[in-house]
Amino acid sequence: MNPDFQNMLKWYNAIPEEIKLVFFFVFALLVLTSITLFIFDRIFHNKITKELIQRTNSWWKIAIGVFIIGTFPRIYGTVIVAFISYSTLREMLSISPLRASDRLAIFLCYVAVPIQFYLAHVGFYNGFIIFITLIMFMLIPIILVLSGNTRGIGRSMSIIPAILIVTVYMPSHLMMLFHLEFKDFLLGGTGLLLYVIILTSFNDIFQYTWEKLLGDKKEIMPKIIPNRTFGGFTLGVMTTAGLAVLIRFLTPFTMWQAVLLGTTIGICGFFGDVLLSAIKRDLKIRDTGSVLPGLGGFLDRLDSLIIAIPIYYHIIRYIAQLS
Amino acid sequence: MKRILIPIFYTLLVRPWLKYIIGVRFENVKGLREAKQFIIIANHNSHFDTVSIMASLPPKHFLNTHPVAAGDYFSKTKVLDWVSKNILNTIHINRKRDASTGNQPSTIDVLNGLLKQGKSLLLFPEGSRGEPGVMSDFKSGIAVLLKRNPGLPFIPVYLVGFGRVLPKEKTLIIALNCKVRYGEPIVPDPNKSVDEILELTQAAVKSLRKRDERRYDKFAFD
Repeated sequence: MNPDFQNMLKWYNAIPEEIKLVFFFVFALLVLTSITLFIFDRIFHNKITKELIQRTNSWWKIAIGVFIIGTFPRIYGTVIVAFISYSTLREMLSISPLRASDRLAIFLCYVAVPIQFYLAHVGFYNGFIIFITLIMFMLIPIILVLSGNTRGIGRSMSIIPAILIVTVYMPSHLMMLFHLEFKDFLLGGTGLLLYVIILTSFNDIFQYTWEKLLGDKKEIMPKIIPNRTFGGFTLGVMTTAGLAVLIRFLTPFTMWQAVLLGTTIGICGFFGDVLLSAIKRDLKIRDTGSVLPGLGGFLDRLDSLIIAIPIYYHIIRYIAQLS
Repeated sequence: MKRILIPIFYTLLVRPWLKYIIGVRFENVKGLREAKQFIIIANHNSHFDTVSIMASLPPKHFLNTHPVAAGDYFSKTKVLDWVSKNILNTIHINRKRDASTGNQPSTIDVLNGLLKQGKSLLLFPEGSRGEPGVMSDFKSGIAVLLKRNPGLPFIPVYLVGFGRVLPKEKTLIIALNCKVRYGEPIVPDPNKSVDEILELTQAAVKSLRKRDERRYDKFAFD
């Protein structure tokens, strides 16, 4: 037999059954959606199907990305997540009101990305947890002061580290999931990663669907995000918690732990969305996709994951210590 | 050798680096594929402008297109001179004509000669890298060239945000999103006067500017 084929077979057999099942389900769903939309597009030719096709295509990209992160050697995953984090950082810095004197500090932010992801990759917890929150938080203001321009320095001192937290520190927790150890649990980081990504993605869909189904008018924050209602939010989070129990086989959690995590992810996902909408509103960016390249891409996709991931990580880290 | 290496260098190294690391987006580049000979004109804020436009060209145009640059600046050091002449394909011209250069052919004649040879040009008619976000008036050279070469199209390009990536008098390149936006090729009417053609070129570049992108041309505060 061809050695390449044998290697492929070995790699395929190493993937746990549960993970295979989930990916089979996800890809089957995507194929089905794509075919349906293709046929619909042929018949109706309208704007809505075009938009849905675009969305499905970006879901394809996400699914393939998660597949590579979850099943390939871990270094691939680290490089992919680090690259996405870098792109998001660049997008955020590009739209923020900064000063010409901040250029060196901006450069340092980019240097911090590989360092942070290296620390997450090797699982050096202490370094990973303080590198940005402590070292970069001190270094950036010092560099800003050294530039000699004090006008508006306070604004830059707060914006730049905050962007670093949101776009680098928080996503880097994804790679730390691979370093958690549980008793009698073999799926490891792949299962934990799939769990949080599936829950945040479906949480968005659930909340949207419930809002459409209920049609209630009581909006939570009409000034920031219109159309998000109390009913949709509550039922969306509850459905997410239900799904969390349903796909518990990916994780070592008990039923109540799954309910807690599902609820937390649902609430965090909502607030991640609100947070980014508020920033966009402040910067008067309404149609993110057209104003700046890629902004409609990474930043909009990541918004609900950003807050959920670190909180999820720290809860399950605590659970791991208990077990 | 050079004919093979330069396209490979641009396609495999420079373009991916610009696209994925620096965050340059190339818009509407497809129109270039059909064009045979042209003059690209763009606004100028940074040395990065030349690199980005050269990288956006289809491979067959790399060696045939010459950016026009100020000789007094680019001949300063040997490294800069070598890079600009060999990698960027630059033609060095004299910005200031004095008695010592009196016998040499004028800039316009040099460029016209290149056009007659079938080469394409990349010009920054503003003359120098002005203040970011502010377009200064075009020098008349471009209009004279177009007037002397009837039927030759010019392609307007508007560059957004390069003044932040590498501003004047800075050496540190930082990554921030920016755009190279191509317009449609325009063939000016040969019966028009030089002034009218000049106005046409300036209007063509300006029309590619979008109001809500102005804030990306320079930093919000200084």
